[in-house]
Amino acid sequence: MIMLVDADIHPAAMPKEIAARLDEPWRTRYEEFGYRVANPPMIYPRLTNGGNRLDAYPEEGLPGGDLDLMRAQLLDEYDVTYGVLIPLQSHGFGAVAPDFGQAMCRALNDWLATEWLDREPRLRSSLAITHESPEAAAEDIARYAGDRRFVQALLPTSGETTFGRAKYWPIYEAAEDVGLPVAFHLGGMENHRGAGWPSFYLEEHVWMGNLEAALAVSLICEGVFERFPRLRVVLVEGGISWMGPLMWALDDGFDKLRADLPHLSRKPSEYLREHIWLTTQPIEEPAEPRHLAWALEHTGMTDHIMFASDYPHWDFDNPRTALRDVPKELRAKFYGENARALYGLEAA
Amino acid sequence: MKVAVARVADFPPGERRIVRVGRRSIGVFRVGDRFYALNNHCPHQGGPLCLGKTAAWMTSALPGEFRLSEEDALVKCPWHGWEYELSSGQSYMRPGDAPVRGYGVRVEPGRALDGAATPEPPNGRVPGPYRAETFQVSVEDDYVVVDTSTATRQEGE
Amino acid sequence: MSAPMIDTDVHCAPASFEALFPYLDAYWREYITGGTVRIGPALGGQYPMGAPTTGGAPPATVEALRERVSGFAILTCLSAFDANRNPYYEAALTRAINEWLRERWLDRDDRLRASLTVPTSDPEAAVAEIERAAAHPGFVRVLLPVRSVDTRYGNRRYLPVLQAAADAGLPVALHAWGRVGNAPTATGFTHTYLEDYVANSQVIVQGQLVSLIAEGVFERLPSLQVSLLECGFSWLPALLWRFDKDWRGVWREVPWVKENPSAYVYRHFRLTTEPAHLPRDDRHLAELLEMARASDVLMYASDHPHDHGDGGTRLLAAVSEADRAAILHDNAAAHYGLDV
Repeated sequence: MIMLVDADIHPAAMPKEIAARLDEPWRTRYEEFGYRVANPPMIYPRLTNGGNRLDAYPEEGLPGGDLDLMRAQLLDEYDVTYGVLIPLQSHGFGAVAPDFGQAMCRALNDWLATEWLDREPRLRSSLAITHESPEAAAEDIARYAGDRRFVQALLPTSGETTFGRAKYWPIYEAAEDVGLPVAFHLGGMENHRGAGWPSFYLEEHVWMGNLEAALAVSLICEGVFERFPRLRVVLVEGGISWMGPLMWALDDGFDKLRADLPHLSRKPSEYLREHIWLTTQPIEEPAEPRHLAWALEHTGMTDHIMFASDYPHWDFDNPRTALRDVPKELRAKFYGENARALYGLEAA
Repeated sequence: MKVAVARVADFPPGERRIVRVGRRSIGVFRVGDRFYALNNHCPHQGGPLCLGKTAAWMTSALPGEFRLSEEDALVKCPWHGWEYELSSGQSYMRPGDAPVRGYGVRVEPGRALDGAATPEPPNGRVPGPYRAETFQVSVEDDYVVVDTSTATRQEGE
Repeated sequence: MSAPMIDTDVHCAPASFEALFPYLDAYWREYITGGTVRIGPALGGQYPMGAPTTGGAPPATVEALRERVSGFAILTCLSAFDANRNPYYEAALTRAINEWLRERWLDRDDRLRASLTVPTSDPEAAVAEIERAAAHPGFVRVLLPVRSVDTRYGNRRYLPVLQAAADAGLPVALHAWGRVGNAPTATGFTHTYLEDYVANSQVIVQGQLVSLIAEGVFERLPSLQVSLLECGFSWLPALLWRFDKDWRGVWREVPWVKENPSAYVYRHFRLTTEPAHLPRDDRHLAELLEMARASDVLMYASDHPHDHGDGGTRLLAAVSEADRAAILHDNAAAHYGLDV
């Protein structure tokens, strides 16, 4: 039986579950004002069942809110060895006023630990942090470092500024210090400078690949990996096949534009291969299956690609079928070995 | 094997029932005064097809135009949204989409996989490579009855 | 006797406003002089004069061009790309550039064609300029910066511009860079030119391509063609795989999209060969060219004076003779309706 690690599962807490874990004044503040971050589904409704599998709605609560249902539909159904939780609510909590956000992130982490990690040994989790308040986030990365069931610190792809910026470096420093990867998942506050605002969810969804690529460019060009040579970064849910072409463009550009990049000592593709991990969902499905094999080889990063289901979202990838076009010799790596190595999971 | 699903009077239009028949799960739908039954299994990736929302045919000649037919005619798989015609189980894809590779099935517009002619689908959509299993439904003595022996079935693989 | 090469992207620019003054009335001459308005490729940080990729100033005269570029070429003048927000200034400037192109370039060298420059902040003014000037046979496309204002080009507000281009029988050409002011990346400004270089060409163009298709522009304007200039192409296969797959799931949001998005791309879009950001490995290169359907979609461009490295040369050396002919001549001839 091969090891199956699902690197992207979305739990969802009801507001009352968060409120119950907040002290005052945060509890009243949360109950009266909530958090006011313009996240993507507000602007681009997910069209299909609110963005989830229709059958993943539990009797009470939200999709991804019921452990028993998650066991039935995912962990047991597919013999998942380990699953990594990515709580997208942290994208909103992490962008509000610093103390308030820290309280909410801690409440979310507490909920994750008690309702999920304590109850289900197969699960690991991403740590909710106040990404827009990096000092507080660094504090919490250190605070939770003793609980290695939190396997990575979570940020969104859209912040107030680009994530390579020095503003966010305290997070990377703290993560590197404790040996924790940082993961960027699609989401955060919706932003469309540059190319301009799209009209449709379809466009926004396609743009997600571009967002992860742009984020990688920012991390490279701002010198994050020079400053934090042991930092490991996971780009979740942005696809994979754009990575090869991005490397070629960045290396060509680096060659010519080196005088503007005195802080970089290596080619961009080297940083990408060493520091970046990718998840498979939504796996690309070219009309010619061998094109996927080519695109994977072009990345030179097949040791850094990890299977993800994205349960309970509508476009989730079924582990049994999603990797059918991935060359056989890579499947064990994608399904589990690469994640095991990154997250330090014990072999099944 | 015939299975009584519900009294007609207890099965209003727009509703569905899921019934277990042996190892099978079958979804029975009522649209207006007609009943349809499909196997509760999406040939695409095995999702519980009959839990999905039903939908009407939609056409659009130009951007901004959204023309829905009156009645629901399709069921959308609750996972990836593949759409199957209730009456035939035939999946319908977007116009111009080539049959998914690996199935060795050549699909021609206007023909279902078993060779029977199908009406020209709205919006020029062509049949896809999947077909959900359908069953005969009848009304007998005020009961909605599904006959599991009359499965029409042709899956791509 | 093989068909001549068509160079689909050659830059030219007035050396200074002096060259445009004959085409600007007294008010604008004073506006420019009094306001010390600047013009030039380095404006907005687009092409820093010393950057190796910039290659120096573009030729300012036909004579200067012909010392460097021979043969049939399509000119691109980007001098209005970073025009300020005064819509009347932008209209006057773009008109002046078009007149300068006509009189100082097209009328003096019959092996040259040009991109028609239009305002971007006011679609009505853009339509007016297209209607005024597009009939001149020397203008073979309508030029727009790949960075639009606030929304993407598929948005309804741009429809009149695209319609006017289609009515005039001209492709619309999206060229790298454009109006600064808003950040070049979705989330903010950058510190390095490399980030700008990648963002302002290859990343933003993908959003524009998706927008034009998702908004059904080609259903409204089935004859419209789009050139993507200096935006690269190696990103294309990955984008189309994602676009086709995503559309399958949410097609009801855009029910006027009647085919695979990639089908629209092959029918309506052409891309230029510079920059060609390619894998170093020759087998990977051959694979990329197959995945990208290079011989179907690419049109040769020197992108003079810009220098993106040896990718363009490697590309042409890697394809068959027939594919080379398509890239060097046939695709552009068909796309622009050129009898060359």
